[in-house]
Amino acid sequence: MHMLARTGLVVVALMLGAGPVVAAADVVAVVANKSAITRLTPRQVEDIFLGRINHLESTATLVPLDLPEGSPARAEFYATFGGKSAAQLKAHWSRLIFTGRGQPPAVVPDIETARKRVATNPNAIAYMDRSAVDASIRIVAP
Amino acid sequence: MTKLSRQRLHVLIEPRVLFAAFTLIVLAVVWGATLYLIDVERANARKAAAVSTSDQVQTYGAQVVRAVREIDLTLKVVKYAFERNEGRIDLATLQDRTLLPSNLVFKVSIADRNGMIVSGMDPALSNNVSYRTYFQQQRQGDALAVSRPQQETDSDEWRLFFTRRLDDESGYFAGVAIIAVGADFFVSGYDVGKLGTEGVLGVIGDDGVFRARRTGDTVVYGEAVDYAKTFPDADSEEGRVTLTENPWDGVSRYTGTQRLYGAPLTVVVGLSQAEQLAETSASARTYLWRAAAATVVLLLVVALLWRMMRQLARARREAVTSEIAHARQVEHLAFHDGLTGLPNRSLFSRMLQQGVQMARRNNRLLAVLFLDLDRFKHINDTLGHEAGDQLLQEVAARLKSCLRDSDSVARLGGDEFVVVLPELADDVYAATVAQKIISAISRPFTLKGLEFRVTGSVGISIHPQDGLDEETLTKNADIAMYKAKAEGKNTFQFYSDTFNAESLERLTLESSLRRALENNEFEIHYQAKSDLKTGQITGMEALLRWQHPDLGTVAPMRFIPVAEQTGLIVPIGRWVLKTVCLQNLAWQKEGLSRLHIAVNLSELQFFDEHLLHDVETILESTGMEADLLEFEITEGMLMRDVQRTLRVLTALKKLGVRIAVDDFGLGYTTLASLRQFPIDTIKIDRSLIRGVTHVADDQALTEAIIAMGKSLSMTVVAQGVENTAQAKILREDACDEIQGFYFDRPVPAAQFAQMLRARAALAPDIGTGSQPVPAKT
Repeated sequence: MHMLARTGLVVVALMLGAGPVVAAADVVAVVANKSAITRLTPRQVEDIFLGRINHLESTATLVPLDLPEGSPARAEFYATFGGKSAAQLKAHWSRLIFTGRGQPPAVVPDIETARKRVATNPNAIAYMDRSAVDASIRIVAP
Repeated sequence: MTKLSRQRLHVLIEPRVLFAAFTLIVLAVVWGATLYLIDVERANARKAAAVSTSDQVQTYGAQVVRAVREIDLTLKVVKYAFERNEGRIDLATLQDRTLLPSNLVFKVSIADRNGMIVSGMDPALSNNVSYRTYFQQQRQGDALAVSRPQQETDSDEWRLFFTRRLDDESGYFAGVAIIAVGADFFVSGYDVGKLGTEGVLGVIGDDGVFRARRTGDTVVYGEAVDYAKTFPDADSEEGRVTLTENPWDGVSRYTGTQRLYGAPLTVVVGLSQAEQLAETSASARTYLWRAAAATVVLLLVVALLWRMMRQLARARREAVTSEIAHARQVEHLAFHDGLTGLPNRSLFSRMLQQGVQMARRNNRLLAVLFLDLDRFKHINDTLGHEAGDQLLQEVAARLKSCLRDSDSVARLGGDEFVVVLPELADDVYAATVAQKIISAISRPFTLKGLEFRVTGSVGISIHPQDGLDEETLTKNADIAMYKAKAEGKNTFQFYSDTFNAESLERLTLESSLRRALENNEFEIHYQAKSDLKTGQITGMEALLRWQHPDLGTVAPMRFIPVAEQTGLIVPIGRWVLKTVCLQNLAWQKEGLSRLHIAVNLSELQFFDEHLLHDVETILESTGMEADLLEFEITEGMLMRDVQRTLRVLTALKKLGVRIAVDDFGLGYTTLASLRQFPIDTIKIDRSLIRGVTHVADDQALTEAIIAMGKSLSMTVVAQGVENTAQAKILREDACDEIQGFYFDRPVPAAQFAQMLRARAALAPDIGTGSQPVPAKT
């Protein structure tokens, strides 16, 4: 009885977990076409968005752009790059803010704004669904 | 005093004291250093924990103050914007202009005077907050307020609400600006590296309610404590650190607090004592283990050394002991008789000296008892030395059993024992002891499985009446012993002044002589006479020997006078004559050559009226040829009573026996007077022969005697010839025969017969020889 119930739960958990993982593959990090950055490792992307680094070699200070809390692309992005949940992300930034070591990325209202800001700012870096990428910007990761 | 302290010093340098002191000092140093080190490390760790706490309180305080000020500043910005725009405000615009802090952490909202949320970015907040404490609070006051931790719903996070009052243009209450912050934001700076897993980081309000408190990964919200009691020092300028047991979880911590400026909050930082001192405790444990190990090693080493030293000391002690034992043994051997273990003559002499001194000093009597066994020699001869030794040992044991501890007994040699009784009250006691000894000795002995009886004679001398010194006492006890023997043995005798040592000895000899014949104690020894020209044995002289059972071999010159005086010489002489004749015949029968045999006649025998009869009887009864028998008489006897002598000699000659004059040349007889006697042989005295090689007178006299003897047709015999030089001169002088120790010692019959047989085998060669063959000795 118990065994059966537990097996059922595992199956449900697997089905629930499988969905977002498949979708996550579609969120990509982007920069302007004019940007000097051509390729970033997922780790570099994670570090930039978690405030661990603010520039790469031979680039100016990078400006990461975040989507609002609760947007699906944001959740997928942080799950893909660094594997952090919203709560973990909040705890991370709480600690940095409290100890005065950093501020979270600026938040843009939607993907459209993000794309525009990236296209016009060679130091900006953002993320979005792969399908939202157009010619003005370049995918650097994954 | 100085002696005492020196003794103490000696005790100090004794090895075991030194060892113990050394060990204690080393142990004291090791443990002292260890405990000191631990103490220092503990103190350092405590100090470090306190300093760390103090540092972190300051840092943490600064962080909280900054956060609170930023929140307050935001509230003020919102208030300003609200009041400038008469209540119309768009928070999104402020956000866009980065006038608001990160929305991720700080959720800003605005409620109107009715508590309705009119603007905000906090989806979790309910639409109406009028029932909230902070809303009520801001209606009355105008200051930053920090709410207690609150949850909108049960599953929501715990949050703090920072609020400020909003006014309208007239100054009336127009609403509240709210910033909601997760309570754990204020403890997000918890660093395990600095605080450990048991440290504490917290913010508490003036109301005594913790806004948040974190230990490790656990955060507690809204817990109330007695503020004043828990943080008595919180108001002080510089946050002090105290080691206290925190009331909320019972953990002892170095706890530091600091009240914030401009907000009703106090920060709390605590470092767990156990955790902070764990490292020190661990190293303290290590130090203690090391000290314990060092102690064990040291004790083992010391024990080992101690044991080795003890063994060395014991070996040394044993060596010394065995040396002493050896020395004692050597001393014992020097002063004791090996057979019986009794003191020997020298120790006895010393003991007696001491005893005499003691007796003199204490004015007491002292007795010396001399014991001589009566039949010891007999036992020794018949049973052998082993049995004799066993007997002596048994006698020694019996003697000891008769004595008190203060008495002493010694063996002087042979069968002579001596006892000293010191400190006598009465000489009766000496008699008692003597009787006891005699009784003890006369009990039967078992030797070689046979029972024997032995008797003893005891002589007693008493100090001081019988002598004042050791020598006299010993001598007199000896004399008394002789007297006891003379009295018939198995008895004791006190010394008396009337005793004379010589007469006592004579008494002894006399009594012994009487039994000597019966006991067959006499023996005949034979000494050969040789022809000087041919070297052949021509005859022999019979010599009487006495083996006394106690005295051993007694010389003829000692007992012959006694025998003469007592008349015992006559029966003894008879026995000799008979024995000699039988022996001579036995040898002849054996096929050995016919030999003359000379027998000495003493004066008493010579003048004995039965002599002729006895000789005749013996010759007849034995069948001995008379002409082979020669009687030797001394020169002195010849002239004693010439008529009588002549008569006896003539009678003897009639029997056919030969007559010889012994010890001739001593000057009593004129040569001429010899003519009247029927003498066959003269024997030149040994004293003349001794001088014949180098004393002119002796040589001349010897020559004259030989010449005279020849002229009277007598055989001349030289007595006591001891070397070839003497023999050579005598031969030149035409002496007939020689007799002497050098060539032939007197020997018992069996040995003499052996010699005769040996000569007989060589006889043909000897016929031409000019040198006599020396007999085997």
